[in-house]
Amino acid sequence: MSGIVRGNVGFNDLKIPGMWSRKIGKDLYEVFIGPQHPGSGHMRIIIRIDGDIIVEAEPDMGYVHRTMEKLSEGRAWIKAIPLFERMAIHDACNVTLPYVRAVEKLLGIEAPLRAKYLRVLLCEINRIAAFLYGFGIFGVFLGHSTMYMWPFGDREVWVELAEWLTGARLTHTYPVFGGVRRDVPEGFTDSLRKAIRYMRRRLEDYRKIFVDNPVIRARLEDVGVIPRNLAIELGITGPNLRASGVRYDVRKNHPYEVYDELDFEIPVFQEGDAYARVHQRVQEILQSLRILEQVADWLDKHPREPVMHERFWKTAPPLYKKIFQETGRVKLGAVMAIMKIPQGKAYERGETARGEISYYVESDGGNKPYRIRIHSASARNALVYKYIVPGHRVMDLPAIYGSIDYFPPEADR
Amino acid sequence: MPVEFAEKTVPPGRGIFKRFKGNIEAIAIGVKYFFDPKRSTLIYPKEYIKLRENYRGFIVLNAKKCINCGSCARICPAAAMKLIRRPYTDPKTGKTRMKLWPVINYNRCIFCGYCVDVCPTEALHHVNYHDVVFDNMEEMDQTLESFQQAPEHPTAKEGIPVRYIIDEEKGLVKVRVEGGEQ
Amino acid sequence: MSPIISDIIKIIIWPPLWQLIVLGLLLPLGVVVFIIWFERKTAARVQRRIGPYHVSPRIAGGLQLVADLMRYMFQEIIIPKTVDVAPFIMAPLIALILSILPVVAMPFTSNASYFPIGMRYSLIVALALITLSPIFVIVAGWASNNKFSLIGGMREAYLITAYELIVMVSFLSASAATGSFDLVKIVEAQAGGKWLGLLNPLALLAALIGVLLSTSGFPFEIPESEHEVVAGAYTEYSGLVYGINMGAAYLKRMVYSILIALVFLGGWRPYTPGPGFVSGYLIPSIVVFIKATILMMIFSFLRAVYGRYRLDQALDIAWKYIFPLAVAGFGLSLALAYLGIY
Repeated sequence: MSGIVRGNVGFNDLKIPGMWSRKIGKDLYEVFIGPQHPGSGHMRIIIRIDGDIIVEAEPDMGYVHRTMEKLSEGRAWIKAIPLFERMAIHDACNVTLPYVRAVEKLLGIEAPLRAKYLRVLLCEINRIAAFLYGFGIFGVFLGHSTMYMWPFGDREVWVELAEWLTGARLTHTYPVFGGVRRDVPEGFTDSLRKAIRYMRRRLEDYRKIFVDNPVIRARLEDVGVIPRNLAIELGITGPNLRASGVRYDVRKNHPYEVYDELDFEIPVFQEGDAYARVHQRVQEILQSLRILEQVADWLDKHPREPVMHERFWKTAPPLYKKIFQETGRVKLGAVMAIMKIPQGKAYERGETARGEISYYVESDGGNKPYRIRIHSASARNALVYKYIVPGHRVMDLPAIYGSIDYFPPEADR
Repeated sequence: MPVEFAEKTVPPGRGIFKRFKGNIEAIAIGVKYFFDPKRSTLIYPKEYIKLRENYRGFIVLNAKKCINCGSCARICPAAAMKLIRRPYTDPKTGKTRMKLWPVINYNRCIFCGYCVDVCPTEALHHVNYHDVVFDNMEEMDQTLESFQQAPEHPTAKEGIPVRYIIDEEKGLVKVRVEGGEQ
Repeated sequence: MSPIISDIIKIIIWPPLWQLIVLGLLLPLGVVVFIIWFERKTAARVQRRIGPYHVSPRIAGGLQLVADLMRYMFQEIIIPKTVDVAPFIMAPLIALILSILPVVAMPFTSNASYFPIGMRYSLIVALALITLSPIFVIVAGWASNNKFSLIGGMREAYLITAYELIVMVSFLSASAATGSFDLVKIVEAQAGGKWLGLLNPLALLAALIGVLLSTSGFPFEIPESEHEVVAGAYTEYSGLVYGINMGAAYLKRMVYSILIALVFLGGWRPYTPGPGFVSGYLIPSIVVFIKATILMMIFSFLRAVYGRYRLDQALDIAWKYIFPLAVAGFGLSLALAYLGIY
């Protein structure tokens, strides 16, 4: 009888991979949160509630799956950078940097020191902007409309800086193989310092209206606790992991670019609840500001020098060098489009605003990637809903969802 | 390595006094911003942001500089730039022969700027605006003639050009800049 | 003046009609339109935005609400197949009527010729009428046959149990202080600056929070909490019926505000009503409305500062903190009566 479903076979007996169903308990009420729900994003969470208590929660991901890994196999190496940016466009530099570094590893080159500082500069700007984006979504999930508008308004400061540096508000495509595409413009570091001081001032305002607001505290404290062992078991990454007391940050454990030369600390909280995750992100922003200050000092001290690796810059015509000296714009060599990467495998990781992202890159020596495997932070963080949401009330769901700072396009790829 | 982990704890907030203080602080900051909003809204069609010169906006071809190398079409990640065959008369020799010219399809363009950066003779450049109106999708697929002219910028005709500068107290501050046609 | 015109004018300013149509519906509607505009503008100011603007830039977007109303009026009213049509349509209408009905039991003057009904038990009547409308929110949620509507309706039901007693006890503390259920006597007892709200801030605070709970104002905007239950009991509604739902909630808050203005904030005092329509009825009612509008503005401001509490936390706060506060206010009123202040 294989393959034939008899008439009296219940729907539950159907076993289609990926399309399983399940019996609903007598007193359970099944509610579909998403994907067309104001509080879900590009994702569905199926919850079953008993009264006001959630007994089961199933994150149903994949609504924005774009086959990025496969798409990248059909195009030249450099063309995958703008593609991968679209995983998390407000965190573009962080998301693409490990890919660029992996390919650089295969090429056996390393970016010049100034390019490394510039990468860190844009990474931290992106990180702050992404945290503010997360705060905004979180605020409106808790009904706090001011906390929606304020971070989005202040994010504009960082987006403005990123636009000044790279020429685009979001999809910067800034790091390329061997270096970066622009040097800092005139007067950039002064504005950056102003933005840093402004952000510190604003975080105090955020504290008053949101973080220390008794309503918000009541909503978040002891809600969505991720115990330390569960966080390790599920492979949660990023601020969520550190808010559960695990000392892990790629910038510290596997330093890349110039993170090991900068003076900053990585905050770790023990509580593991939604409120600790809010504090974690506030602290991360403060640390990013600290990094940016040091980067600004470094950039001020060091004059303009090539931000492209010798291998590509040595053969650059005089026009290229003139343009770079005048405007800071790095012209790319025509070889970039048809470049063949030596055969090999490389693995690189980086710390994005939402956690660790890692790329496994394999080349067969051709001008297109043989295989790229992306392991993004949100995909790992999304699993946690299944385990920590049950037992909470329905109104806790947006609080937990927002505190995880889940970003569906990054998870689905 | 100076990077270190730092154990932090959430500040205590339970207790009636802390809650009272929290409520008062929240309302006070609300009242403060109610009286001094520090707005930075752009009233869009009336004002528009005069973007910086290095902005990656729409792309224009300078056919005089173009050496028909095709690098731009080769590097375009979205396959927006394509090459078309057009006759070309050399001004020196007077000979006419077919050459490949780049044209762009703005339906596909993602404004990454690779083509501009890869162009060996700076024949392509960005304009510093992005709010351009097309009547239909066919019009977005540029011809060689339209690709050589900067697209029309409608907001510059009626809007006031402004630019945001970063201020320590107010965040973004809107200042008027020169330019625009009004 | 011909007798017909004077007769018509007499009918229009016949207190029950005038009170229900003009003071109960039209004037509050005007105030509500202002308040919604004010709420949006306040939130925008605190959030460093401009808010409604493009509809009428010269008067700061004041006509935005008219435009919204037009949109609601001409939008198609979609009635899903699965709803129970009669209660689905009737519930918001009855809720609207019931939320403005308490106005007939509220005096806007001490001039006895302008009372719409007998005022002897007016406070009791007004409170009794106010508490009727939430039932129809639950009916609307049930009739919608939608999971989110049902959850929203149930949340409203939970909250009724929490706020009703608070509102009752805190308003009745006025009776305890003045020894009367007559709103006119309660207002007159507050003459000379002896506002009950000043002498008994506990009852006033309890009443304010009770009103926030009952009209789902922030931080207790729970039944319509967008991020779990979409629009609560109103999820399936569209067009004008949805507009009525939203308007009814604001009208209810307005009616509560009028009641607070009468009971706690001295009503038409410091103005002393005289004889005649203008000085005996119009001016005192405007004074009451101004006080109520200021209260509404305070309620609106809280939207910009607070998020929303969780349902169980709201109930927790209501029963554990606000109800004892209301009882303490009642006790304070008894003490005031004992001391002979009123």
